[in-house]
Amino acid sequence: MAEGFDIDHLAKLARLNLTDAEKALYSTQLSSILGHFRALAEADLPSSVDDARVVREAALRSDEPGPSLGAEAVTRIAPAARDGQISVPRVVDDES
Amino acid sequence: MADALHTLSAAELGRRLAAGSLTSRALCEALLARYDAVNEKVGAFTHLDRADVLAQADASDARRQAGQGRGPLEGIPVAIKDNIAVKGQPLTCSSKMLASLVSPYDSHVAERLRAAGAILYGRLNMDEFAMGSSTENSAVRKTFNPWDLARIPGGSSGGSAAALAAGLVPLSLGSDTGGSIRQPASHCGVVGLKPTYGLVSRFGLVAFASSLDQIGPMARSVEDCELLLTALASADVRDMTCFGPAERALTPAGDAKQLRIGVPKGFLGKGVAPEVAAAVEAAIAFYRAQGCAVSEVELPSADLAVPTYYVVATAEASSNLGRYDGVRYGHRSAQAGTPFEMMTNSRSEGFGAEVKRRILLGTFVLSAGYADAYYNRALRARAKIRAEYLAALAQVDVLLTPTVPTPAFKVGEKASDPLQLYLEDIFTIPANLAGLPALSVPCGKSGHLPVGFHLVGAPLSEAKLLAAGRLFEAAHGFAHQQVAL
Repeated sequence: MAEGFDIDHLAKLARLNLTDAEKALYSTQLSSILGHFRALAEADLPSSVDDARVVREAALRSDEPGPSLGAEAVTRIAPAARDGQISVPRVVDDES
Repeated sequence: MADALHTLSAAELGRRLAAGSLTSRALCEALLARYDAVNEKVGAFTHLDRADVLAQADASDARRQAGQGRGPLEGIPVAIKDNIAVKGQPLTCSSKMLASLVSPYDSHVAERLRAAGAILYGRLNMDEFAMGSSTENSAVRKTFNPWDLARIPGGSSGGSAAALAAGLVPLSLGSDTGGSIRQPASHCGVVGLKPTYGLVSRFGLVAFASSLDQIGPMARSVEDCELLLTALASADVRDMTCFGPAERALTPAGDAKQLRIGVPKGFLGKGVAPEVAAAVEAAIAFYRAQGCAVSEVELPSADLAVPTYYVVATAEASSNLGRYDGVRYGHRSAQAGTPFEMMTNSRSEGFGAEVKRRILLGTFVLSAGYADAYYNRALRARAKIRAEYLAALAQVDVLLTPTVPTPAFKVGEKASDPLQLYLEDIFTIPANLAGLPALSVPCGKSGHLPVGFHLVGAPLSEAKLLAAGRLFEAAHGFAHQQVAL
């Protein structure tokens, strides 16, 4: 297992439930993959990153309202909707 | 016997449609009959709406009759990978997570195809969320290589390549994050192009790794590939990485016989199957005989490409796939008593094994304490790789390598070893990391299995790559090869 690799913590961060069998399998596979990444740790690398994809201001649209899908189209694909709104489990407890 | 329309190129079909010797309805009916005969064997499509196809064909024929034809793709079917949105059609990414999603809007490329008069023809199988190199990660079905039904078609655009090779459709769209157009094209004996990052809008492409993803054309010939690229490439303000009108002019093709071709040192050696190396060496010899200057070039950081890619791509995927939380669209678990349960259970039930593996890996390389060692170093390695490619491409016009080190493997052969599968992409990944255009062209066989060579060029050098591909294709018999199915 790679140093500091905590599959339970990772699963929680990634919002995934893993069975014990999955935890064992992914731990082994991820360790093997991370082992292959060691070349990155050993390489002589430039200090700067590739900034070719940094967004240019010219590429940004002005922040103005425009046509959108509309509530009907959006709620039609939602797992649960009511009165033109997407419904979800209660987020805030009555007591809090 | 009826003319075998499923064997013809899009260019030839376009000529017949324009001449009035063929209608789009007759073409689509022939392809639907072909679908009935072979799709079950090959498994390329996951969805095909016959009534919709024929309605589009009739509308195309009516436009043409009225003298309102829209150009060379008028009436020609184009099949679409199931991660590219077409309004009213499924958009599943071959995942349980999106099994019931019907797209409420068109992607930019779907809009472009409609504007060109093309028929939006069905949905193609893929590795779930485009993560894989064999299409075995589809939650919907298996796709098989038409050249050998016991073998994988490649991936993630495996359905797109297999559909072409099986004569199911003359043109298809794929997406390419680390080789997902070019690797299946090579395995299925067809042509695939990953355009320069920014040439084709990704609006309506389901995001995997946004700094790498590109949509691109796939076809049975270089000419057809170019025809489709021309229809796809245009400015779009909805994808902020898409080039504006003033930035997108392609470098002129020039004379393909004058091309300077660089062969990266060591790329035909270790790990490349002898028959693959022989086919690619024969292609190099062909270009030399045509008058091209062939030289060896150095890409010293080539070994860093796979680890760099799998850090960057999984990091971005773990972030992009955070949107699948069971709230707005996609699968919501029946066990969703609290918001946390809804998110965690929906994701755990909706994602397949490879997607979970990559989300976990991406989460790790971005996590506190590890981001510097993995993600930030990968960004620096990416800068180095890009600089080396651009330096090499200042000396030569194109870099020529195999597309994939080995021919298509058997279904299930590498399913238990994700790392082995990741190495399939060793020659294709650098073009994504560096944002460069790259083309795979069939160049021979290893036994009965197709082999492709791979050309990479400087940004916006698509015309050069395609001209080089056409020169090779014209002298060899690999375009529109027919498979007995």
